Amino acid sequence: MSEVIDKLKKAILIYDRKTASQMAVKAIEECIDPGEILNAMTETIREIGNGFERGELFLPDLVGAASAMSEAIAIVETNLEKSGKKVDKIGTVVLGTVKGDIHDIGKTMVKAFLVAENFRVIDLGVDVAAEKFIESIQKYKAEILALSALLTTTVAEQRKIIEILKEKGIKNKVKVIIGGAATNQEFADEIGADGYEATAPRAPGLCKRLLTKE
Amino acid sequence: MTNKKRIIRNLHPLEILTDEQIELIHKGTLEVLQNTGVRFENKKALKLFKENDCEVDMEKKLVKFPPDLVEESLKKCPSSFHIKGRSEQEVTFGGNTSCFLPFPGKDTIDLETWEPRTPTRKEFYEAVKIMDSLDTVHYTGSYVPYFGFKNTPAVMHMLEGDAANFRNSTLPLHCNYGNDCEIFAIDMAKALGAINLGVVGISPPLTFQEDSCTSAFRNLEAGFPLYIQSGATYGSTAPVTIAGATITNNAELMAGVVLAQLVKPGAGILVSDFGFIQNMRTGYPLFGRIESSLHQIMFNQIWRRYKIPAGNHSTGVSNSKRIDYQCGYEKAIACLLSLLSGANEIGFHGCVYGELSFHPAQLILDDDVVGMISRLIEGVEVSNETLAIDIINEVGPIPGTYLTEEHTRKWWKKAQFIPKSSDNLTYPEWMEANKKDCIEYAKERISEIIKTYKPESLSDKEENAIENILEEARKYYKKTGKITEKEWASYEKDLKSSDYPYA
Repeated sequence: MSEVIDKLKKAILIYDRKTASQMAVKAIEECIDPGEILNAMTETIREIGNGFERGELFLPDLVGAASAMSEAIAIVETNLEKSGKKVDKIGTVVLGTVKGDIHDIGKTMVKAFLVAENFRVIDLGVDVAAEKFIESIQKYKAEILALSALLTTTVAEQRKIIEILKEKGIKNKVKVIIGGAATNQEFADEIGADGYEATAPRAPGLCKRLLTKE
Repeated sequence: MTNKKRIIRNLHPLEILTDEQIELIHKGTLEVLQNTGVRFENKKALKLFKENDCEVDMEKKLVKFPPDLVEESLKKCPSSFHIKGRSEQEVTFGGNTSCFLPFPGKDTIDLETWEPRTPTRKEFYEAVKIMDSLDTVHYTGSYVPYFGFKNTPAVMHMLEGDAANFRNSTLPLHCNYGNDCEIFAIDMAKALGAINLGVVGISPPLTFQEDSCTSAFRNLEAGFPLYIQSGATYGSTAPVTIAGATITNNAELMAGVVLAQLVKPGAGILVSDFGFIQNMRTGYPLFGRIESSLHQIMFNQIWRRYKIPAGNHSTGVSNSKRIDYQCGYEKAIACLLSLLSGANEIGFHGCVYGELSFHPAQLILDDDVVGMISRLIEGVEVSNETLAIDIINEVGPIPGTYLTEEHTRKWWKKAQFIPKSSDNLTYPEWMEANKKDCIEYAKERISEIIKTYKPESLSDKEENAIENILEEARKYYKKTGKITEKEWASYEKDLKSSDYPYA
């Protein structure tokens, strides 16, 4: 393994965002195959994921590593796409916290778990308008739309987005999953969401099940 | 209805910080306020801060506070203030007194399966009635006891709940906000001559949302004091260390204090702590853990130094899904520490699992917990009469007994707290009583209160005023699309039922 790839992996393992990004840039400059760089990162985050599964690592480890990896991955993917090659991912998830709600943490944790399981995650941030979600699932050809809402007053926005998808006739083109403290399976069923999970570590499993059903 | 008995602490409060440590926390907080600042997503607030010598970045919505302004604002807060219900019932926050508010849950729970479900209108109104009847429940509020009830649109949950609290109790209220609900809540309080405590929530780290600032403006303009709450999870929305979490928490609350004192100098403010450690496997907050108490003990000590009333809300929640040993020890330990460390206000009764479930049986059991700990902090009277030296000399050794003494008859009820739902039986009595436990006693007490307790009713004029305000709100939310057609269909059916609002 080249020295730069080794340093990149180590940077992810110690949650060093800056070095991870620097090493990604350096690896591209050294003309290392982008596919190889991505594989090295996926392998590293999987090590962290396995450590989490075994109960040896915890949320700060996984979120820290995923955060370091996300920045590096963006650099490599942009380069790969420029060269016309396709990035091999399980699926694309558009993710965000709904309008009126600025709670970020739950969504960020979900993102970390999805990234660790090799999903492409488009994070729209917090306080995201319904229109922005719709635009993004079309733009990124997402298979899954993940909507977070913490407040009892903002869960109505999750319902609204599903209604808009139905009105536009595109509800069957995307699987909608919801989460957040004020939501539950009963509410998910009521508003016509395709999936719900109570905690972030369960998000990749849910997405994989939904994609298999497809 | 006269005022409920006040809980008075006659003991020196439990304090764990040295003066030097308090000073470090205070200086650190001022430094964060001055250098990093707090985000306010409200133009009116940003403008006000700018006019008052704060460094404001309108684009980033970030406000940096000069330390002098913060110090002055803290000094402008009164050390005690009161709120008032629809009749004479008042609650005073401050000094060495503590008062209690039930802690809400989104749902009720089934006592057989322990599963949560949405309560009915009847269950909501009955729970309010039980709250009103208990000696240790001093005030109530929005989303108390439950977040809402069946067949009610989400946007009407708060106002229907406030109406239920006014209709079935004379307790004063704290009133929440969002979707302009506070406009109608303020109208309701004014129509009944009540003084609400207006809620302002903070979204950590270091952020005030648009709605919470609007609530501050509207409640202060109505002449109501504020309840400013910061609820962080240590490790995600606050630093993972208790000391670090104290800095962000205090910085957020102080930013709220500055806003309130700029809008209305001298306005009464209750600051409230609602923080938790995080489950580092799932990311969920862990309720009922000792670290929340540790934070609250420090919080109470620091805000006592500022002479601003302090509330503890991590106290009322457990991580257990059942009313069981875990629920009991988590809540009782937290309550003991909040009262010992001098919290002026505590959200406590009725909640089982972290804001998601509430049950009247827990409400009844918590009444005993509060009663018991109140007895502790009341302390011991030491006087010639209580030392009882004359009586001791008179009774002497065996066969002397104190049971026959006038002193015993006079003092025993003052010396003992008598729980209402605990098992106080001997084994033979317990076998005869079908081996009842405290939950069984609580259930019996619920039935008894529902059957016999009559809350003071509203006059026809007051009832009409409440109904008119609810009707206005319904029209407003229908017009703005916040009540959907589907929601309205089941809601309207409920409104037209012969039981409405609740017989």
